[in-house]
Amino acid sequence: MAADVRKVPEYCYQCVAGPDLLQVKVENGVATEVEPNFRAAEVHPGGGKCCVKAYGLVQKTYNPNRLLTPMKRTNPQKGREHDPKFVPISWDEAFDLVAGKLNELRAKGLLDEVGYPRIAASFGGGGTPTYYMGTFPAFLSAWGPVDFSFGSGQGVKCYHSEHLYGELWHRAFTVCADTPTTRYVLSLGANTEASGGVVAAWRHAEGRMNRHLKRVQVEPHLSITGACSAEWVPIRPKTDPAFLFGIIHVLLHRHPREALDVPFLKDHTGSPYLVGPHGYYLREPQTQKPLLWDLRRNAAVPFDAPDTDPALEGEFTLDALELGADGETWNHTGVRAETAFAKLVRHMAQYTPEWADKVCDIRPGTVQRIADEFLAHAQVGATVDIDGETLPLRPVAITLGKTVTNGWGGYESCWGRTLLACLVGALEVPGGTLGTTVRLNRPATSRQASVRKGRDGFMEYPMNPTDKAHWAERPTVRNAYSTLVPLSANSPWSNALGPTHLAWLFRDGSPEHWPEVTPPDLWFVYRTNPTISFWDTAAIARRIAKFPFIVAFAYTIDETNWMADVLLPEATDLESMQLIRIGGTKFVEQFWDHEGFALRQPAVAPQGEARDFTDIATELAARTGLLEKYNRAINRGAACAPLSGEGYDFQLAIDCKHTSEEIWDRVCRAASAEVTGGAATDGLDWFRANGYRTRPISRRIWYLFLELRKQGIRFEMPFQERLLRHGVELGNRLHEHGIKWWDTQLGEYQALPACKDFPGIWEKDAALHAKGAEYPFWLVTTRSMQYVWGGNAGIQLMDEVSRNMRGHGGVVINTRTAERLGIAEGDLVEVRSYLHDTQGPAILREGIRPDTLLMIGQFDHWATPYAKDMKAPSMNSLVPMSIDLTDATGSAADLVRVSVRKIAA
Amino acid sequence: MTRWAMAIDLRACVGCQTCTTACRHTNATPPGVQWRKVLDLEQGEFPDVKRTFVPVGCMHCADPPCMHVCPSTATKQRADGIVTIDYDLCIGCGYCAVACPYQARHIVHEREFAYADGPTKSEEARFDEKRMSVATKCTWCVDRIDSGLAKGLKPGVDPDATPACVNSCIANAYTFGDLDDPQSNVSQKVRGTTWFRMHEELGTDPHIFYVWDEK
Repeated sequence: MAADVRKVPEYCYQCVAGPDLLQVKVENGVATEVEPNFRAAEVHPGGGKCCVKAYGLVQKTYNPNRLLTPMKRTNPQKGREHDPKFVPISWDEAFDLVAGKLNELRAKGLLDEVGYPRIAASFGGGGTPTYYMGTFPAFLSAWGPVDFSFGSGQGVKCYHSEHLYGELWHRAFTVCADTPTTRYVLSLGANTEASGGVVAAWRHAEGRMNRHLKRVQVEPHLSITGACSAEWVPIRPKTDPAFLFGIIHVLLHRHPREALDVPFLKDHTGSPYLVGPHGYYLREPQTQKPLLWDLRRNAAVPFDAPDTDPALEGEFTLDALELGADGETWNHTGVRAETAFAKLVRHMAQYTPEWADKVCDIRPGTVQRIADEFLAHAQVGATVDIDGETLPLRPVAITLGKTVTNGWGGYESCWGRTLLACLVGALEVPGGTLGTTVRLNRPATSRQASVRKGRDGFMEYPMNPTDKAHWAERPTVRNAYSTLVPLSANSPWSNALGPTHLAWLFRDGSPEHWPEVTPPDLWFVYRTNPTISFWDTAAIARRIAKFPFIVAFAYTIDETNWMADVLLPEATDLESMQLIRIGGTKFVEQFWDHEGFALRQPAVAPQGEARDFTDIATELAARTGLLEKYNRAINRGAACAPLSGEGYDFQLAIDCKHTSEEIWDRVCRAASAEVTGGAATDGLDWFRANGYRTRPISRRIWYLFLELRKQGIRFEMPFQERLLRHGVELGNRLHEHGIKWWDTQLGEYQALPACKDFPGIWEKDAALHAKGAEYPFWLVTTRSMQYVWGGNAGIQLMDEVSRNMRGHGGVVINTRTAERLGIAEGDLVEVRSYLHDTQGPAILREGIRPDTLLMIGQFDHWATPYAKDMKAPSMNSLVPMSIDLTDATGSAADLVRVSVRKIAA
Repeated sequence: MTRWAMAIDLRACVGCQTCTTACRHTNATPPGVQWRKVLDLEQGEFPDVKRTFVPVGCMHCADPPCMHVCPSTATKQRADGIVTIDYDLCIGCGYCAVACPYQARHIVHEREFAYADGPTKSEEARFDEKRMSVATKCTWCVDRIDSGLAKGLKPGVDPDATPACVNSCIANAYTFGDLDDPQSNVSQKVRGTTWFRMHEELGTDPHIFYVWDEK
């Protein structure tokens, strides 16, 4: 019988929708069960629950396929076809190998001959590996320049366009509904119930059961979220902009203007700004401030003039200055100009709901009806009190999925969504569409603090410069984000928010007038498997095989570390220690009424020789002569929290090594002081027993509108003058250097975006490479909670329970389509793009469009134990990686044209 | 009297299988043996299609067919309605598994492991020889209920007295409690909503209530 039974508080941050707080039951030193941290229900907005993935952690700990000792490669040949012939080595030898290489590179210089960092690093989805890598960020900080631009699949696998445009328009690196308050959610492909984590599932379920929260799910197949929605609209892939534009048309042209939130549009957006004949704002010559037409004075006045009644629509005559790109100016006298809103109204006239129904291939009348519902639910004019502040109450929200926000059509979808919110005053207000995270602006800890007023009355944004004097002609990292994508800004996250696939694509040869993209001399890899999670994965594997020295922090063998030179087994989730911040507002639907810190701690001893990541980082710092810089970085806050503040100082001595426990004890003390205002300084022992420590916060931080209103800042909607100017300038710079291969992308910089034939981009691309073959189907993917954000493909329990959900492990095909093709349930089918093919059993469903196929998740494993035997189809090897399929933000989409045929019964 | 019952709100369930895994953890069932699991059902024809997630398991019927066919009296019913199996009496004949209209019973004759190499540490620590070659099924975590009651806790309210599936649910779809207590959460849920019971026409009087709409 169990003599020693303990319950150990932990967190799970395996997906970006975390963290979840949980407890692990440990019996006689063996972890046996996971359960919610019931006490945490007092602070956690998902009832203190943890999702299905957390229940895989026990198996993850004891998986017999784990690597439990450092290994080194003995076969110098790299590639899928070459067995690496790893052999076990001691930690001492492993550190000698890695530190030896690092010291050799440092002696050569931190940048290579082209100017790229010699060291690159790739970590997995959404920054979540940071919550498991202890103090390794402090080591990287001590090292100096590191190229994070290879990424791990983002650009297709993240909400790429949303990240960039979201930050620009409302500091919304991630966008979500104000679920606790909203009454109507229009979801275009956002698979919230599968990927929004516990908090999203909890809140939406509460809304469905108790508040008549209606969600309309618009997507080509009936996803998990579609199943939990009031209505499913089976839209043709990549026609989402048309759907949104049709709704905008209805609001602008088929309802009286006063049905919209006119005061919001006049006072809190750029709608009244006057636009000149060259497509830029008209400005007061002396101050260069954009002008609006004041109905009180019957004259043009600067946007920030006091006591105005701005004209929302109309055409006016005035004298003004117009500022174009690269300093071009026009001085107008008696120029006729209309407002940005009037231009919008005219621009959207062509996009009728009837047109949208046809483009989207949905039932006639759908777009008009949904537009009417959206407007009716918006409750324009209603207000609510939030902790003493009166705010608009607009319980309508729009959420977008990955394939909607990514690739061509992403800009138009993000713009359409944000504009719709503005038309009814539902952006960043209770019930409306909110951001939760800021990553490209600084500080990353506070959306409010990142808001500063720019010269035109909108929020400042740290665009990468495109003017001649400051444009980054030479990329500083291999994906060239600062050169090609002004919107990607220049924060620590910008590296990974650039066009990451260009770093891979150009490894096979740079395009015209572009510098060589060299392999990194050393590549760190942790909790990511780009050989599976990228697209055109066969090509990725070939390119990785050419990297000269790869250091992988490894759990099991996988398809990426197969090419590694050294494998370092780190103590995993339940074996190691780290303190993280929780609460506030961040990612997906993680907006809380509390903020603070939570501890992950060793519930059980590390298996084998697996070592705590913090101890690994410390040893690497010591052996590379970086210990002082490393300790200083920790003192500054590289490990969760600064170790000193007002009234407390727990800084580490900088000239010696500290154990993981010593470091985290100091961090815990500083965290206690921070969260209690200095009243408590409890350390590691306190957190070990209690798990987390928080303080209440006001919901006012959920709603950025308050900060904008306070600073007198307008949302930059609907007219995108700034984007237009940067696009023109970027084009000028590239053309000055003879670069023409980015011209199509430059076309995306439109002040009022047009709805294009987005599906046609993929259809034409397939036809161009078809060589006589036909690819009549769309292939799309979706996520399930068991595998969302990856990392657990080798866990048997996840495989077992995921198969209760229809679609895992096979190719989902419409029942009547299958019948027409002679395909029966379970038949082995081949799905082929012009790039590659994959096979799996047919799964017949009614809940998918007849012209669309679906594969869940990404499984193409050939090295990862257990996963390699699942024989599940994967679309990643079928999706081409090309400039043609890359949009201006540097993202592509999980979408490809394919054929399907039966192989065997 | 006490009559334990469960209500599952199908409007809330997201099919995540968290209850399935929580049950596998709490009851240490071997791979493939899911006393609780969530079905993924589809109705209608494109484009008028509905997809529904339906958690299933032992319904703890008031008139359980599994008990009637049991030749060894291993299957019994407690006064509080919970249908039990006495592993010492069960002969593993499988009659009950055939008789159960809910496919809620499982019999395993050979040890199964998550990975081919043998038991993991946690599987080894929790192996129970008494579970081999006998019928097993959901017990509504009867041990938790009984030990919780002994500590003065309230099943369905206090986690330590509540079935693991209920505790784990991330959508708050489950409600558990005493149907004979009109103030219990399950009584209020059943009273205030529209529900059905699975295969009610068979006369088993199942005690899981599937809520699908408000009253």
